[in-house]
Amino acid sequence: MRRILIVSTAATLIAAVVSAQQRPQPQSAAVPAPADAAEGARLFATTCGFCHQDGGRVAGRGPKLAGTDRPDEYLLNRIRLGKDGAMPAYGRAFNEAQLRSLLAYIRSLKDDAR
Amino acid sequence: MTRRRGALYVTGLATVMLVASACSMLKSESAGGGGTAATSMTAPGGGDWTTYHGTYQSWHYSPLTEINTDNVKRLKVAWVHHPGRSTRGLQSTPLVADGVLYYTGSYSRVWALDAATGKPIWSYFPKLNDDLVAAQTHSPYTRGIAIGMGKVYVGTVDGRLIALDMKTGQPAWDTKLVNSEKLTVGFTGAPLFVKDKVIIGSQGGEWPGRGPIFGVDAASGRKVWEFFTVAGTEESKKTWGGESWKTGGGGGWMAGGYDPETNTVWWGTGNPAPLYDWAGSDWKTAGPRPGDNLFTTSVIALDPDNGRLKFYHQELPHDAWDFDSAVGEFVMLDRDGKKLVVHPNKGGHVFVYDRKDASIVNVWQLAQNINFVKGIDPKTGALIGRRDLPLGKHTNLCPAIAGGMSWNSGAYSPKTGLYYKIGQEWCMDLEVIKTTPVLEPQAQLDIGANFTLRNPEGGKAHGHLSGRDPVTGTKKWEVTFPEPPLASLLATGGNLVFVPDPRGVLHAYNAETGQELWSHNNGIGHNGGIISYSAKGKQYIAVATGWGSLVGDEFGALFGEPYKSMPKDAGALVVFTLE
Repeated sequence: MRRILIVSTAATLIAAVVSAQQRPQPQSAAVPAPADAAEGARLFATTCGFCHQDGGRVAGRGPKLAGTDRPDEYLLNRIRLGKDGAMPAYGRAFNEAQLRSLLAYIRSLKDDAR
Repeated sequence: MTRRRGALYVTGLATVMLVASACSMLKSESAGGGGTAATSMTAPGGGDWTTYHGTYQSWHYSPLTEINTDNVKRLKVAWVHHPGRSTRGLQSTPLVADGVLYYTGSYSRVWALDAATGKPIWSYFPKLNDDLVAAQTHSPYTRGIAIGMGKVYVGTVDGRLIALDMKTGQPAWDTKLVNSEKLTVGFTGAPLFVKDKVIIGSQGGEWPGRGPIFGVDAASGRKVWEFFTVAGTEESKKTWGGESWKTGGGGGWMAGGYDPETNTVWWGTGNPAPLYDWAGSDWKTAGPRPGDNLFTTSVIALDPDNGRLKFYHQELPHDAWDFDSAVGEFVMLDRDGKKLVVHPNKGGHVFVYDRKDASIVNVWQLAQNINFVKGIDPKTGALIGRRDLPLGKHTNLCPAIAGGMSWNSGAYSPKTGLYYKIGQEWCMDLEVIKTTPVLEPQAQLDIGANFTLRNPEGGKAHGHLSGRDPVTGTKKWEVTFPEPPLASLLATGGNLVFVPDPRGVLHAYNAETGQELWSHNNGIGHNGGIISYSAKGKQYIAVATGWGSLVGDEFGALFGEPYKSMPKDAGALVVFTLE
């Protein structure tokens, strides 16, 4: 009986951890992950370029990102949580390193006022 | 209905089997909603609208004549229904059976209303997985429902198919079909009711899954079959290099058609993933998905009883442009002793098939600005001079990713013999980039490019409505629009064609000449369905209003106002009748 309880408790804990990992995390991790703008560019062309056109350089379905004055945490949380009816939440799909790489890519975009 | 419901109380296996057999004979005839006689799904007749495309013939045509070219100027709003939470507008097509109108709002909310007055009879709001709703690009679209055997069927973006009792709205069953937690896709399109099955296709395209289509037992909710639009047969798996079939995309996100004479379901499939292919012209042996990539961007013919593939035609082998075959209707016609089906492809061509085996009868061009191919052979369907796009920058690809035609349906009138369809004229510049899909869970899309929509060279982006011979494409008349209408069309026995436009104006045209006879401003863009029906002896026109979609969201940047400030969280069902 005790063994069953231990197994059950462990399973519950694991389930809770997995569930927590699957949900969008509204705040960034304490230790910033390394950012890689080239990796961010690849990720952007995989998932983001459908709406943020010309790689985020001009407005399209989504807003222009080049030269944005939004702070880092705002952009990271927008990617994690999305926007109801406008942008998917990627908090379940991207890890912290990928999020930081996307941010590095956005910051690397030149704002040529197009 | 009464007969069938009574039969359920009979015990004894033999009796149940006998009754089941009798029901099976009735099923394809009737929506089975109430006590009145069958409204046929197989051919227009009567005043109901019982399946997404009007009937299995996919004509989007009502034979009703009370509203006609002589009196349409007296058309007025009869009633309006606001479903609430119309995030990204109402995109659905209502159904009507026995004086009750059924329709869906965003988040798969289902309403049953008195079709004459709009008075609510029941509603059903499914509890959805909010995390999955938030994670999806196409959320929270719900583009339609099916009815049959006394139930209403609706798909959800978290991968379920739900059946509701038509009289009460109480759930009869709720079946999870797609692992949306991993695949981050579900159902946005309408199901198709055939015999004793509910058939529904999952989202797909540049979502790196295998895009299944399901056949579900209408009585119990049990999954009977599943057909993978990517590598659904061993032979087709050979058209995918390496392991690329595991993330090939596909899908069948719009309701197809049904040919009762041959017991064949016709369904269109989505494009492969990644959407663009950096291998360029070396795509047969190199790149992320070498080969033809069957059965993406194809029309497939399935046996509704077991999901087995009967035959198919791949409209664009190795689609490298997102011009998929999931869009559009399957217009079934008889011409010169031949049984035909007419199917528009997103790339801007219309394919005409022989219904016996999907052999090509003709291919004709609807959109004017097309350069992804030089042409399509009208005798064989073979692509001529395809424009493959290797790694790097490309300019003026036409049509743009939004397509020469959008997903909503055209209409066919047996009175005029004309097919009414919207064409879209726009192009784009793009840069093809090597990508790797993010899996487990999927991060939605696998695009493989960045792009920007633009005007065609020497002109402006726009749309047009034309009335054409459906088999030859010969144009009888055309009306142009400053922006492409995105909603479905309706043709009626009153010799009218209704076009809900993106600015919010509903137009009625003379079906013979294209002359505009009436219009009404609904105050917000249209991006859903339109039907006509009869209730309590009067004819009605019902249109879904509301704006916001992957194509519609483009309008603000491309066309400016009124789209920049058009709400994307509103929409209502607006119903008209003669004053």
